[in-house]
Parts: sequence; structure tokens; C-alpha cells
Amino acid sequence: MRRFLLSISDGRGFDIGLVSVPLAFLFAMAGLPLIYNIVMSFQEVDMFSLGTFARPFVGFKNYVTLFSLPETWPILGNTAVFVIASIAGQFTIGFGLALFFWTGFPGSSWLRGLFLVSWIMPGLVVGAIWNWILSGDFGVLNYILRESGLISDNIFWRSDPDFSLWAVVIANIWLGISFNMILLSVGLSAISQDLYEAAELDGANVIQRFYTITLPMMRSTIGAIISLGLIFTLQQFDLFAAITAGGPNNSSNVAQYWAWDLSFRQYDFAQGATVSVIMIVFVMIASVVYVRSTRHEVRG
Amino acid sequence: MGIRKLALAGALAVASMSAFYTSACAEDVKITVWSLDRDIQPAPNLIKDFNNLKTGITVEYRQIQFDDVVSEAMRAYSTGQAPDIIAVDNPEHALFSSRGAFLDLTDMIAQSSVVKPANYYPGPLKSVMWKDRYFGIPKATNTIALYYNKDMFKAKGLDPDKPPQTWDELVDTARKLTDPAKNVYGITFSAKANEEGTFQFLPWAQMGGGGYDKINAPGTVKALEIWKTIIDEKLASRDTLTRSQWDSTGTFNSGNAAMAISGPWELDRMVKEAKFDWGVALLPLPEPGAKRSSAMGDFNWAIFANTKHPKEAFKVLEYFVSQDNRMFKDFGQLPARSDLAIPPTGQPLKDAGLKVFQEQLKYAQPRGPHPAWPKISKAIQDAIQAALTGQMSAQEALDQADQKIKAVLG
Repeated sequence: MRRFLLSISDGRGFDIGLVSVPLAFLFAMAGLPLIYNIVMSFQEVDMFSLGTFARPFVGFKNYVTLFSLPETWPILGNTAVFVIASIAGQFTIGFGLALFFWTGFPGSSWLRGLFLVSWIMPGLVVGAIWNWILSGDFGVLNYILRESGLISDNIFWRSDPDFSLWAVVIANIWLGISFNMILLSVGLSAISQDLYEAAELDGANVIQRFYTITLPMMRSTIGAIISLGLIFTLQQFDLFAAITAGGPNNSSNVAQYWAWDLSFRQYDFAQGATVSVIMIVFVMIASVVYVRSTRHEVRG
Repeated sequence: MGIRKLALAGALAVASMSAFYTSACAEDVKITVWSLDRDIQPAPNLIKDFNNLKTGITVEYRQIQFDDVVSEAMRAYSTGQAPDIIAVDNPEHALFSSRGAFLDLTDMIAQSSVVKPANYYPGPLKSVMWKDRYFGIPKATNTIALYYNKDMFKAKGLDPDKPPQTWDELVDTARKLTDPAKNVYGITFSAKANEEGTFQFLPWAQMGGGGYDKINAPGTVKALEIWKTIIDEKLASRDTLTRSQWDSTGTFNSGNAAMAISGPWELDRMVKEAKFDWGVALLPLPEPGAKRSSAMGDFNWAIFANTKHPKEAFKVLEYFVSQDNRMFKDFGQLPARSDLAIPPTGQPLKDAGLKVFQEQLKYAQPRGPHPAWPKISKAIQDAIQAALTGQMSAQEALDQADQKIKAVLG
């Protein structure tokens, strides 16, 4: 007994006690809803059985129904395109800007701060603004493209099934650039200047320095940003609601918007939950990749 | 969030104080009402007036957001905390009444000297019914008709007093009015992938002899083909597929569209914004003499089945109904009643438009009523969008919608 008490005040018991508090919190706030969601995807749910747990279990029926719908695969495909294109765009442009501001020209830190404005804005506001920019007849983007001779006919960004998904991707890239840039800037400033000086003395040129020093030293930052980017793009909902509402004909519909539409527009909570479970699976896979890729890292 | 919490805390404080006050002074029956009306809209004002009458019934009001009406109501009902009275959007009424969540008012209405079914337009009245019983009372109503720019009609040599009467005339007129050089489209409407798209298309489907339960009727297919012609020939903006009715009519007001299909909620804004002479016409028909039809929108009152004071709640509804003659004058909404004459507002364009909408309301039909309306509506929206984007022919798209709807109807 004494040993037990002792271990609580200092030792294993103390460690476990410390860990259990955040774990309990996580379980209550994230774990329970997650489990509830998964359970719901195996049940028959309607608006009237929402308040109770005792709902009939239907096995994999919700999943079978879901995958028999003609729109399921296109929507999952759209989700993949949206996530990959958004992250690629946000990361590349964000990294470019971070490197640009890293050169430290006069006023660079100021400008860098100003860039964060886009990240602070609520998604619905960003969506409403891009809604105007991307508007087919009087949109600014079409005006610029037309005046610069790139297009002769207006592109209906929101209403043409070939462009609608890209309309949201463009808006989402714009929204995410600044966040990527700031995090990457932090990573860049953590690299010791000595390394670059030594490399320069050894005769490494700019490109060699970038590939042999900057990128390897940024590995953990890049991993973190890409996994955060994955999370942010998978929860991007406001832009879809504001710009295309998933239309036309689901050409810009993605899993997260679809899950909402199923649950709260069509009141089919079981199907909505099923879509979110599929999303959870994808996020799990992505996070395993992320954890594995950063497991052996050496922090310098 | 901070403000919301503060407001919530404030509301709680006020509520607890008033609860204390009422229990302390008199045994008033407390009735709670939920609706989406803001301070300038009917519900909160009528409730204030009702409470001033001191009838021994105190009404408490809570405003809920449009998107939350159904989910909030369901959550409250399934946990036994539902309000006594709620206002729901008419296509969602059947979802509640079919499951016994709403009180059957048929007998109370039969004995009432205020609420008389004969006084209502048939469309709104049908939307509160389920299996020939009344489960609510129409709160207000609206429908859609054709707005047109008379100045543009004159400029193109068309008679401004002869708006298009048939679908073919509509397309023809739109062709004549379209003027890309001046950024003018012939017509604007909404084929958005939400309830608005269904709301705008169903009247066409019904005029063509179809309906939600036979969405692939030949006339309905023709209607969708007409819509497709309008989009393909650029007589309307392609953004029709993603634009709401309100935004679409905005382009009419700014002179970028010569005609617009929308509802009476546009009247006030149009009077203010449109710098031209305009008129309103009944929706064009498939051919002369065909059966008219139109959409039917707006909310219904209903009493929850688990209310402790059904009689008092019905009295409150009777009071609301007795104030229907104020609906348009004070709040700009159309009462769902055909027996009330709406006094002129003194604004000639608005009064003329109102007459057309009242005429159109006679032909307004509810969406459904069916408990799974959102699924039916979704199938229709998908069909409209698949056809208009050219991914399917109108026939294929509507055949597919018909299959989906048949599966829902069982």
C-alpha cells in the first residue's frame, strides 16, 4: 500500500496519473463521438430515433447502399483530387513565399505578417468573396483572363462541371497559402546559418544547398504541414457551401460536404455517418504514413 | 461566440426572472413558440400583442435559424423538450405529422370560429394535411411568377402588355431580348442544387402534366428540355445552376436580365432597386389553355403532440390567424387566405404585381406532402443538373429521378 502511495507521489503511478488526465479528456471529447459515429453507421437512424441509443442494427447495409449509389465513386474521386491539388498548391506556393521572405529584404517581416490576413478570415466570408471573383458573367477572374487574351469566352467556374471543383480548389489554395508560409518560415529560421556558410565554403551552389540542407532540415516541419493540410482540406466545408454547394450535378461534391448534406439536408443520419467513417479510414491511413515518416527523425 | 454566450446567459437570466414573476403573481399558462421570424417579421410582434391582451396565457418566443428548424425541433421532441408551437417549412410538415409528432387539429378546427379551411388557398392547406386530417395551419404563403422588364420589351419592339403566355413564346421572347453586347440575358431563374431548384422546376413539371410522383411524364421531359434550350443557347447565364433565386433576380434588378422567375419576396427590393418599368405575369403554359400550376412556399404553424396545453396553444394559433389581415401591410408576407382582400400599398408596380401573385396562388401546389420529401427533392435536383450540364438527356435524367423517387415512395 505504501509503495502504491509512493508511486503516485513520485514514480510510475505519477506518470500514469499525468497521462490519464489528457487521455480521459481526449476520450470524452474525441473518442466517444468517434465511436458513436461508427456505431451509428451500422444502425438504422432517422430523426425520431436520434435521441435514443436503442436503434436497430443493420450490419453493413448502410455501406452496401452507399456504394451502390451512382454518385459515390465520383464524389470520393473529387475528394482525392481536392485534397491533393489543394495541398500541392498551398504547399508549393507557401514554400516559395517562405523562401522569398526568408531572404530578409527590408519590410519582409511586415509583409509576412500581413499575409496571415487571409487565414484569419472566416471561411464563409472567403467563400462569398471568391463567389464574386469566380462568377461567370461579371467575375473579376474572367475579366482578367479575357483582357489578357487568355480566354475568349467566359468560363463559368462555378457552373461548368469541368471547372467547378477547380473553382473551390483555387479558393482553398488562396486560403491556405499563408498558413503554410508561416509554418515553413518558422522551420526555415530554425536552420543554423553555419550550415549554409560551411556548404558555401565547400562550393555548393544555391540548388545544392536547397536540396542537401534546407529540405532535409525541414523534414519534420514539412511532414507536419502536409498532415495538417490534409486535416484542414478534409474539413473544408464553408467554401463548398458558399461557392458551388457541391453542384452542378455533384461535380464539385466532396465527402465532407456530402456527409453534411446526407445528415442535415436529407435527414439520413446513418448514411451521413457512413460517409464520415470512410473519411476517418482515409485520415487514419494518412496519419500512419505521417507517423512512420517522421519516426526516425533526428532533430538538429 | 462570446456575444452568443452572453446573450444566452442574459436570456436565461431574463427567463428565470420572468418565470419567477409569473409564478409569483398569477397562474398563467405558459406557451412556447419557436419560429425563424426576426424582430421585423410576424411571430415576435404578434406574440407581443397577444401577451398585452392578458388572456391568462403567456407566450414565450424563441427564434431559430432556418437551417436548424428541423434538427432542433427533432432533438427537442425526442428528448421531451419540444415547444408547444412551432413554425416549419411546408415541405417538411409531413415528416412530423406522419410520425405523430404534431397534434391532429382537425376537431379543434371544426369547432373554431376563427380558423376555417374554406378561407385558405388549396395549396397551402394541402401542405398541412396528412391522410385527410389537419396537422397545422398555414402561416403565410408565396409562389413564383414571371417578372419582366417592360422597357426592354419596348426597346426590342415587343408589346410590354403582352408577356409570353406559353413555353415556346417564352423561349422566343428570351431569344429576342438576349443581347450579349449589352450583357443582357433574356431570362434568369434558379436551377440550384438545393430546394430552390426543385421549387422552381416543379411548377413546370406539373403544368406539363407530371408531378413529383410521375417526374418522367412527357410534358415534364419537355419542360426540362426547354430549360436546357435556355441554358444551351445562352438565353440565361450558366450560373443559373449555382445561383439562388435571390441572386438571380438581383441580375434582373440591375438590368442584366430581361425576365426573371421568382416570388413576391422580391417586390420590395425591386421597387427600391429596379430603375425601369416592370410587370409581373403568370407562369407561361406548355400550350394555350393548359392547366396552370405554381410552386408553394413559406411556413406552417403546428402544435407538438406532447404539449401539455393543447387548448391554450390552439387559442394562440387562433389569435395569429385573426391577425392575418396585417400580414402584408405590416410584414410584407402574403397570408395563405383567399378570403382576405389585401389593401393597396399605394405603390402601383407593387400592387399590380401583388394581384398577379394572388391569382397565381390559386394554382399553387405544395411539394409533397411526403415525409421523405428531402430525398424526393434531391432526386429532382440531380436530374435537373445532370440534364442542364449535358451529362444526360432530359429523358434519361428524369427516368433516373423517377426510379429514385419510386424507391422512396415504395
